[in-house]
Amino acid sequence: MLTELETRLLSVMMIFIMLGMGSALTLKDFLIAFRKPQGVLVGLLCQYGIMPLLAYTLAVVLEVPAPVAVGLILMGCMPGGTTSNIFTYFSKGALALSIMMTMCSTLVAVVVVPLLLRFYTGLKGLPSEYVIPAGNVAQVLVVLLVPTVIGIALRKWNPNVGATTELMGGLLGVLVIVFLIVTWVPRNWSLLMTTSARVYAVAIGLGVVGMLLGYWLARGLRQDKRRARTIALETGIQNGPLGILIVTLTFTGTLQEEVLLVPALYSLFIVLTSSVITVWFRGVTTREELARDQAKVRTAPAAGRA
Amino acid sequence: MSPSQAASDYDSRPWVAQYGQAIPLEPPPPRHAHLADLIRDASERYAKQTAFTTCLPNGMHGSLTYRQVADHSDAFAVYLREVLRLPAGTRVAVLTPNCLAYPVVAFGVLKAGCVLVNTNPLYTPSEMEHQFTDAEAEVLVIVDMFANKLEGILANTRIRTVIAAEVTQFFATVPRAVVRLVMKAWTRALPPIRVPHVRLARALAEGAAARAANAVDVAAYTRGQAPSSVAALQYTGGTTGVSKGAMLTHANLLVNLEQALAMGRSHIAEGAECILTALPLYHIFAFQFNLLCFYACGARNVLVPTPRPIQNLQRAFENYPITWVSGVNTLFNALMNEEWFTAFPPKHLKAAVAGGTTLQHAVAERWKRVTGTSIAEGFGLTEASPVVCFNPLSGMQKPDSIGIPVPGTEVRLVDDAGHPVPAGQPGELILRGPQVMQGYWKRPEETATTIRDGWLYTGDIAVMDRDGYFKIVDRKKDMILVSGFNVYPNEVEDVIAQMDAVLEVAVIGVPDAASGEAVRAYVVPQGGDLTEEAVRAHCKRFLTDYKIPKAVEFRMDMPKTPIGKILRKELRAQHLKTQAP
Repeated sequence: MLTELETRLLSVMMIFIMLGMGSALTLKDFLIAFRKPQGVLVGLLCQYGIMPLLAYTLAVVLEVPAPVAVGLILMGCMPGGTTSNIFTYFSKGALALSIMMTMCSTLVAVVVVPLLLRFYTGLKGLPSEYVIPAGNVAQVLVVLLVPTVIGIALRKWNPNVGATTELMGGLLGVLVIVFLIVTWVPRNWSLLMTTSARVYAVAIGLGVVGMLLGYWLARGLRQDKRRARTIALETGIQNGPLGILIVTLTFTGTLQEEVLLVPALYSLFIVLTSSVITVWFRGVTTREELARDQAKVRTAPAAGRA
Repeated sequence: MSPSQAASDYDSRPWVAQYGQAIPLEPPPPRHAHLADLIRDASERYAKQTAFTTCLPNGMHGSLTYRQVADHSDAFAVYLREVLRLPAGTRVAVLTPNCLAYPVVAFGVLKAGCVLVNTNPLYTPSEMEHQFTDAEAEVLVIVDMFANKLEGILANTRIRTVIAAEVTQFFATVPRAVVRLVMKAWTRALPPIRVPHVRLARALAEGAAARAANAVDVAAYTRGQAPSSVAALQYTGGTTGVSKGAMLTHANLLVNLEQALAMGRSHIAEGAECILTALPLYHIFAFQFNLLCFYACGARNVLVPTPRPIQNLQRAFENYPITWVSGVNTLFNALMNEEWFTAFPPKHLKAAVAGGTTLQHAVAERWKRVTGTSIAEGFGLTEASPVVCFNPLSGMQKPDSIGIPVPGTEVRLVDDAGHPVPAGQPGELILRGPQVMQGYWKRPEETATTIRDGWLYTGDIAVMDRDGYFKIVDRKKDMILVSGFNVYPNEVEDVIAQMDAVLEVAVIGVPDAASGEAVRAYVVPQGGDLTEEAVRAHCKRFLTDYKIPKAVEFRMDMPKTPIGKILRKELRAQHLKTQAP
């Protein structure tokens, strides 16, 4: 697990990363995102419709032990994580949409998450009293909102400063991701060795299948491909640290350790899988950009020149 | 109708009626003896204003004021003349994408009384070698990104000094360092330069020092320089064989500047415009129009190093109050496909102009709907510095037309024997005017076939309507002779392009045993499954039998020129190769 210091350090870094993300944006980018507000709604549907159901289904189908199921369902019900914004940025996705989705899902988390947790853990006959620390949710919102707005202002004031901040933020993002992977694996080596394949399957599957379903649902609801890829990342990437925090606030002793297993494994593997998917998405986006350069402009409907 | 009657159709200049109040019959006599004078004049008049801004895709930017451009280009001129000791008239090749270094270097070359040789940065080493040796260039300014292409060829040329410029030249320290770090470490766009070279910054410093030490009067380099002296060797492939250098004189370029401005002056407020330059400045269209015309008018020029992908223009449009934009069909087409552009079209836009290739109907219409301004189409060629015809911004603009001849230009449409064809009939467009080049550099025979009795033969087939507006039908060389009937590839291409499943199309003529030549179509399909039968059936609805392609070949892409013209000759060559025994 991460130490207290590391967690603090991480949230401070997150502020700088979001400053960089904000610097990559202009107000117009948000206005463009708002032109199709259903994007955010589709995202919320994926976040709180698909993910909890997916977690529950995985728990039932793979018959995982009760504490693991609690951790799994908890992760499924979490709002979008801030790292989704970094991955969206690197995959050349719709960053403004991603940030808005993270904010919206975090905002409604205070009300929706306890309800979802009660519902799904109740279905599985698991303990259903959880504390969702509102202060923590507020903290996530502040970490997102304030630096993003400052970043946008920076870019508006001087694009050179904005673009430099953007690059620094991106670089920091990569460093944080590498840091997480490099420090986490060796320290938790014994845990990784003793964990059963089934637990691995649910911890990794939650993210990967979540992205897949998120993409399909978004495409089915007529989001364009770039927005659908953004929604996919947003859906699959949950706020891992928040899940871990809730577990530590709710459970104690060995039970806590067992419940923590999935949130912890998920948090590790989502970084790996998202990195791979980001590289792939980036290539797709670049190809689409080049193709769009040449795509034909069509005449107004029925304005045939025959 | 006799040829002389037909000639009067053109010689009466029916288009002059369209000039109205705004456009003079003849271009005003150039106010400057040569380009260095014009540059110096504008630099003084607008000294404190921003002249150029390079805008990178991420919004990073650097700018120069008119005074800074003047100082740096003076320093470069002194470097050429005092440090390198070049005599006037030396050819200096410049090979950079759009960036702040370009105007500084190009203006410096002109101020030094040397000859500018614009070179396409995307050239292969062998194409570069051909151009450098043909022009007998002695100095080369090259962007460091492409300097590795010189390794194998430099020894075969007369170039003795290589000066390395940067895309981020004249940027502030931090953005420059950041961009160069990213280019070096991440995109690997900065290969090491293994040939002896000097950095542009150092050349400028040496020039400035020499100037101060010897109290050099830079204006003296060009004092007494005749307007008829060559300002630039502008290379053009034409459509035939090897590329050759059109000798454009100071008088050619200066008068054409006035001619071009006459067509758009009504929409230009001196000292208050902001023009987006996404087309490459090494190309004559952007060189004359964006660089010279708008520098003379005190505009701010926003330079974009590369417009591909078109997303690269987003920050330029967002961060600067763009009032003018020049482009080619592919550029306007690409912008129409971008949500960020169509949702928030530039608010200050006054005019857009297109040249290079035919502007498609759908693109022009959509542009007008989105931006509220129309795209004025024109026509020009390297050999005419380049502007010949334009739709007047102050008057009537006709869609699908290249507009009317610019002031002081005679235009005729002639048949194969050089006799004028009656108005309304297709004929080769020829022109006579002060903007016509002196000839091709060291190629008297090719000059003689292109310029006859003072008339420049463009090789383009056009038609003139009653108002004196011209419309390009096709390239003369591309015309297909099917059993004695003329087929214009453009007509067939337009029909095929109407199919939604067609992304791009090109039509050429190929030798055919039965009909002499046969129509052959190349199609890049867009998604879906498109068959040869479907294409031919579509053609049958709109075209007479002999115009319908005998064969349709599907491909993934088309060979194109740097500005996006499809190369029919390349397709023809490829076809002939497959036919060879």
